[in-house]
Amino acid sequence: MSGVFYEKFERHAHGEGLKAHSTHYCPGCGHGVVHRDIADILKELDAQDRTIFISPVGCSVFAYYYFDTGNSQAAHGRAPAVALGHKLAAPDSLVISYQGDGDLASIGLAETISIAQMGVPLTVIFINNAIYGMTGGQLAPTSLTGQKTATSPDGRGRAHGQPLKMAELIAQLDGPIYVERVALYDAKNRVKARRAIKKALQNQLEGRGYSFIEVLSECPTHLKLSPVEAEKWVQENMEPVYPLGVKKDVSATTEPWFKGPRPSYEPEEVLGLAGAEPALAEKRRTEWPAHVAKRDLSFKFAGSGGDGAQTAALLLVRAAIELGYDATHIPAYGPESRGGTSYADVHIAATEVLNPAAPEPDVLVAFNAPSLTKFAHTVVPGGTILYDSTIVTVAPTDLPAGRHILGIPFTKIAADLGKPMVKNVVALGALQSATKLLPDDALIETLAHVLKDKAAVLPLNRSAYAAGLAAVTPATV
Amino acid sequence: MTAPARPKPFLQPEYCKGCLRCVDACPKHCIEPGSEINPATGLIPVELHLDACNGCSLCMQACPEPFGLRPETERAHEDHSGRGDDFDLQDPAKLFGPKPRPSDPAADERDTVIAAPACEPLVLKGNYAAAIGALFAGCRHVFGYPITPSTEGAELMAKILPKLGGAFVQAVSETAAVNMMYGAGGAGVPCMTFTSGPGFSLMLEGVSYMIGAELPGVFVNVMRGGPGLGNLGPEQADIKLACRGLGHGNTHAIVLAPGTPQEMLDLTIDAFTLAFRYRSPVVILGDGYLGQMTGIVKLPETMLRRGKPSWSVCGDRDHRHNLISSIELLETDLEKRNEHLNRKYTAIARREQRADLYRCEDADVVIVACNTPARMAKGAVEVARAEGLKVGLFRPITLWPFPISALADLLPQTKRLIVVEAGPGQLEDELRLALSHAGFATPRIEHVRRHGGVLPSQREILNQLLGTPAASHA
Repeated sequence: MSGVFYEKFERHAHGEGLKAHSTHYCPGCGHGVVHRDIADILKELDAQDRTIFISPVGCSVFAYYYFDTGNSQAAHGRAPAVALGHKLAAPDSLVISYQGDGDLASIGLAETISIAQMGVPLTVIFINNAIYGMTGGQLAPTSLTGQKTATSPDGRGRAHGQPLKMAELIAQLDGPIYVERVALYDAKNRVKARRAIKKALQNQLEGRGYSFIEVLSECPTHLKLSPVEAEKWVQENMEPVYPLGVKKDVSATTEPWFKGPRPSYEPEEVLGLAGAEPALAEKRRTEWPAHVAKRDLSFKFAGSGGDGAQTAALLLVRAAIELGYDATHIPAYGPESRGGTSYADVHIAATEVLNPAAPEPDVLVAFNAPSLTKFAHTVVPGGTILYDSTIVTVAPTDLPAGRHILGIPFTKIAADLGKPMVKNVVALGALQSATKLLPDDALIETLAHVLKDKAAVLPLNRSAYAAGLAAVTPATV
Repeated sequence: MTAPARPKPFLQPEYCKGCLRCVDACPKHCIEPGSEINPATGLIPVELHLDACNGCSLCMQACPEPFGLRPETERAHEDHSGRGDDFDLQDPAKLFGPKPRPSDPAADERDTVIAAPACEPLVLKGNYAAAIGALFAGCRHVFGYPITPSTEGAELMAKILPKLGGAFVQAVSETAAVNMMYGAGGAGVPCMTFTSGPGFSLMLEGVSYMIGAELPGVFVNVMRGGPGLGNLGPEQADIKLACRGLGHGNTHAIVLAPGTPQEMLDLTIDAFTLAFRYRSPVVILGDGYLGQMTGIVKLPETMLRRGKPSWSVCGDRDHRHNLISSIELLETDLEKRNEHLNRKYTAIARREQRADLYRCEDADVVIVACNTPARMAKGAVEVARAEGLKVGLFRPITLWPFPISALADLLPQTKRLIVVEAGPGQLEDELRLALSHAGFATPRIEHVRRHGGVLPSQREILNQLLGTPAASHA
């Protein structure tokens, strides 16, 4: 008794009778052997207080009955993910993900491989007994070819696949620094197993990296053998399929590196990263323009991906908010990462945007013909339609009556300035000129604010905006 | 003959299961299979003949039982020989001497409230707002898997958290992500994820475990069109999942329904408070529009640094006795645990109902709606009021528990109840259940519904209010 086991197993049926000192494992089961190894090594390493033991699902689901350490019980297959969560939340802890073959090699395969590849210092102890124990002796990924189980009663056949060699699989990954397969069937191998487990725990304690120890273990009950016969079975049948030994070891050449998350809580830092700016002593507040009768205007910007419809929409929203209005923007894209359609619904309200959708906009800004065709009819009577007459060379004949329709060559104006990309800023200038919703300089002030780290492109944008403003004259309206 | 330098083994027969691993292990052949059934266990323990023993300890290393073969030095000083049928378990303290206790169980560490400087409001997408809110709530651990339309939250966290000494992990799947939350939540730190319906479905296993093990964690589910892969438009069809279907077993969690980017931030902060107050996951149900919507967001005045809870499993001496688990093997124990959960649900239902009432004081027509559809409803209320209709909006902010108390106050004056939702009536089902549980006769409920990523429009709601025939959804 190393002192790492509870002196009374209170969690085992409330510690009544024999259960206070006896495990729930069958006679001859390998789990108990490995449990004793781990307990002794934790004692040797003086790591009992730091240890978080993850119990899996399987026969060792109740490992927390026995280990006087921090304990966390995981769902089936998820132990490495739970282990990682504990490790990142408590980086000085020693986290042991202790799993059987159904858990680790079947349902938890994705967690097993992805977290091994991450390489964060963790210790995975993999008990491979070639069968499901707790559910009653079913076929495991590690069951041997020809092995009869409850769900392969005629033996593991070709269509069941072949035994999964986890140690070799994990050793192929770049993440782990130490992978070894050991066995328990005789004294010599038990000494080796103990040594491997110790090294795997040390690698974590030193912050070197992830270690994976596969232990060939006996399940006399479901192999339907005596414990002694089961030891022999592991030696004679399992070991040829699962050769023992070190599969990978770069522990010595891997310098300790893991410090883990060490959170800071400086509001200034968070605000800086969030792009927040100190509160202004003077707020620029602008009265809602008297000539705009409605207290809430809605806009639709529509084009293809890359036209800049979303950017223009967001600039408008930001400018309105900086003036003290409320504003919202909702984007809508096609599934394409590039190109495809790109629409934006914008609302600007004197006090509060109630409904942020713009199915019947007051203003439409269309960058191409399909957008114009699609949305022109949704614009409310008396509303404004702006479109890029460089792209839409022939205006559709069926545009609705009773709307102010303005074809402005956004693209040509931008191209003449040397940068077709700024056509959306030209459009904003034209929009401002057509609606007079904001003060004339508001949008460009906002743009200057947004571009404060890219001062070089500001003059071009100023020119584009000014050109857009000038493009709409009383004559065009 | 001098005493051996190393202790020989001793065995209390009732702790031996007779597996005989030690028999092979002993190079001196000191251990034999037993021949007598132990009356306490019904098993046949091995027999030791230690004349030749040199204390090599190989037998002890072979023994699978913690209290099996142990070194002689651990044997109690009193004589246990001659015990047989009258075997009576000894007090281990008597057998092994008193063991140093770990220090007293830890107390809850206090939270620290840190004042934040005043800032200009941000112009933010809903998803970003939730992320910033989480940072102010002290969250430094985020686990996720990319899924539209929620991913901006995770992306912002991936950018910011490393600079704050935090951790963002893109897991191999939502299943892995929620289990990382189980681990981090089990260690007592605030953690969260951003997901959408298909991902939330995958997380439900872990949510059930977290509820069972009583772990805090915040789930932002930005609802999209379903079922199956559906589409990326906004829908409100995960309400049944969040309110009635959080994985297997007796599960409930507080479900919050923000309606603006500002509320995405505010309710995320509240979600962490509630998650730790009740040791439970909290679900924030947004919709695809809200996740993607940009609006004005005012920042909070304080940031929280959360103290370590007493129950956490975080790898130190003070918390060593703790266990994170959802297992109760004995039926009566599990029943007790479920009764404990039920008491918690009852307390939550009593204390945490929240709703926002808009122009309901004199309303005889009440619209019930949440998330973005509530904003279309708000627009419709304004227009209908101008038409002389006495209509108000009842907006549940907690979908579970449904804020039935606030609605009950309105019912006597309510002639029409209209549920507006982007989905097949899941919000209406919550309303009906809440009415039924509260003992109200269900009034006639009208509804305006759209599906598949389409939101009810202000015009459709208005048509319902004014009784004008709705245009077809052509």
